[in-house]
Amino acid sequence: MNWWDDALHRATAEVILVGALAGLIGVQVVLRRLSFFTMALTHATFPGVVAASIIGVNILVGGAVAGAAVALGVAALTRRRGQDAAAATGVVLSAGFALGAALVATQSGFSRDLSSFLVGSVLTVTVQDLVTTLVALVVVGLVLSVSARPLLLVGFDRAGARAAGLSTGAWDLVLLLTIEVVVVTLVPAAGTILALSLIVAPAAAARLWTDRLPVMSVLAVVFAVGSGLAGLWASGRFDIAAGAGISLTATAVLLLSWLLTRLRPAVSPGAAGRTEVAPA
Amino acid sequence: MTPALTYSAVSVGYQGTPVLTHVDLELAPGQTVALVGPNGAGKSTLIKSILGLVPVLAGAATVLGDHPAAARGRAGYVPQTDTLDADFPVSVRQVVMMGRYRRIGWWRPAGKDDRRAVSEALDRVGLAGRAGHRFGTLSGGQRQRVLLARAIASEPRLLLLDEPFNGVDAVSQDAIVRVLRDLTGSGTALVISTHDLQVARDLADLVCLINGRQWAAGPPAATLTEQNLRRTYGGSTISLADGRMVLVEP
Repeated sequence: MNWWDDALHRATAEVILVGALAGLIGVQVVLRRLSFFTMALTHATFPGVVAASIIGVNILVGGAVAGAAVALGVAALTRRRGQDAAAATGVVLSAGFALGAALVATQSGFSRDLSSFLVGSVLTVTVQDLVTTLVALVVVGLVLSVSARPLLLVGFDRAGARAAGLSTGAWDLVLLLTIEVVVVTLVPAAGTILALSLIVAPAAAARLWTDRLPVMSVLAVVFAVGSGLAGLWASGRFDIAAGAGISLTATAVLLLSWLLTRLRPAVSPGAAGRTEVAPA
Repeated sequence: MTPALTYSAVSVGYQGTPVLTHVDLELAPGQTVALVGPNGAGKSTLIKSILGLVPVLAGAATVLGDHPAAARGRAGYVPQTDTLDADFPVSVRQVVMMGRYRRIGWWRPAGKDDRRAVSEALDRVGLAGRAGHRFGTLSGGQRQRVLLARAIASEPRLLLLDEPFNGVDAVSQDAIVRVLRDLTGSGTALVISTHDLQVARDLADLVCLINGRQWAAGPPAATLTEQNLRRTYGGSTISLADGRMVLVEP
C-alpha cells in the first residue's frame, strides 16, 4: 500500500506544509498588524469558494478571485486619506460571509457544509491538495525572501521607504496578495478558523520570545507546525475535530509563551523590548 | 561646482494645489539651510519636493544638478522618529544597514564594505555599543542618532533632516550637532527643518522662513529679524532683553 493512501499520513504532511506556510506569512501579518484584514480575507473567500463549486470551476480559483478583490479593495481604501480601513474591512468580512451563506442556502445538498468551511477537514485532504499547498509554500517563500528588504523598510519606516524610492502602495499590495495566496490555499483544506489561528497565534507567540526577525520567522514556523502535529494527534487521541484541536493547540502555545516570557527575568540585550535603557 | 540645490520661484503641492509658493533658494555643497516656520507651514512638503516625492508645480528646481527624483539616490533623508514603528523587531545595526540598501541593491547580501560603513556610522553618532539593541528600546534622542547614522551610511551629497531635534535630550543634541558639522566640513549640504530659532542661528548658513510661501531667506542674522518673523508667523514675537525672541503663535 502506498504511504500516501493513508488519510492520517496525508493529513500529517498537509499540517506540516500548512504550518510552514502559515508561520512564514504570520510574521508579516503580526508585524504589520494585519490580523483583522486576514480574518476578513478568510471570510471573503467563502462566497468565491461556494460560487466556484456551484458553477463547477476549481474552488481555489473562486477563492482567489474573491480574495484578490478584497485585497485590492482594502489597498485602495488605505491609500485614501480619512477612510477608516478597519470599518471597511469589517463590512467586507460580514458581507462576504453572509453572501457565502446565502449562496449555500440556494443549493440543496451542497457538499461543503458551513461547519467544514469553518473548521476545515484536514483528514480528507487529497494528494492534489498537498501539491497545491507545496506549490503555494514555494511561491510564498520565494516572494517573501526576495521582498524581505523592501517589506522590512516599508513596514518599519514608510517615509524613509518612499525617500529611498520604494512605492509603498505597490509593496503593500504585494504583501496583501501574498497573504491572500496563503489564505486561499489554507481555507479549503483547513477552514477559516484554523487558517486564521495558524497564521496569527504562532507568529504572535514567536514575537514574544525574540526581537530578531529571522529567529521570529523560524520560531513561528516551528510553533505552527508543532501546533498542527500536536492538534492532529490530540484529535485522534481524544476524538475531537482536527481543525479545532489544531486551533486550540496554537492558542495554548500563545498563552503559554505569554506566561513564560512574563515570568522570565530580563535577559540578553535587546530581547523582547524589556532591556533597561541606560541614559544616553 | 554644481550647487546642491537651486530653487527659483518654485511652487510645490499636491494634485495641482500649491502648499508652498515663491521658494527661492540656492545651496552650495557644504552649506546648511534651516527651514523655519510654524507647524503646517510646508517644511515637510518642501523636503519631500527635494526628494522628488511632491511635484514642483511652477518654477525651476534642481537637486545636485539634476531633476529632484533623479537625484534621490544621492540624497539622504532623516525622517521624524515618531513616524517609525518602534515595535518592529529590528536591531540598531539593521536600521543603519538600511542606508546601504540602495548601494547593495534590494536583493544582494551585504558585503564587508557595507558592514564597515555601518560600524563607522554608528561610531560617529556614539552608539557603537548599541548595535545589537532593538531600535525601539532606545530613547528618542538615540533613535534620532541611529537614523542619522543610517543617512551617513548612504554617503549622501545632500542630507535632509525633518525636525531632527524634536524630543531630543541635550546629550543627543550635542552628538547630532557635532556630526552635522563634520558632514558639512566634508562637503555635504544640509537641509534642516526646525521650529527652533536657536538651532537655525547656530547651525545654518542660510535661513528660509516659510509659511505657505517663502517670506524671507538669507544669512541668519539678516533674516531672523522681528519683522520677518512677524510676517512669517502672522502673530506676535516678543523680544527679550538678552537678544532672544519668543514666538507667540496666534
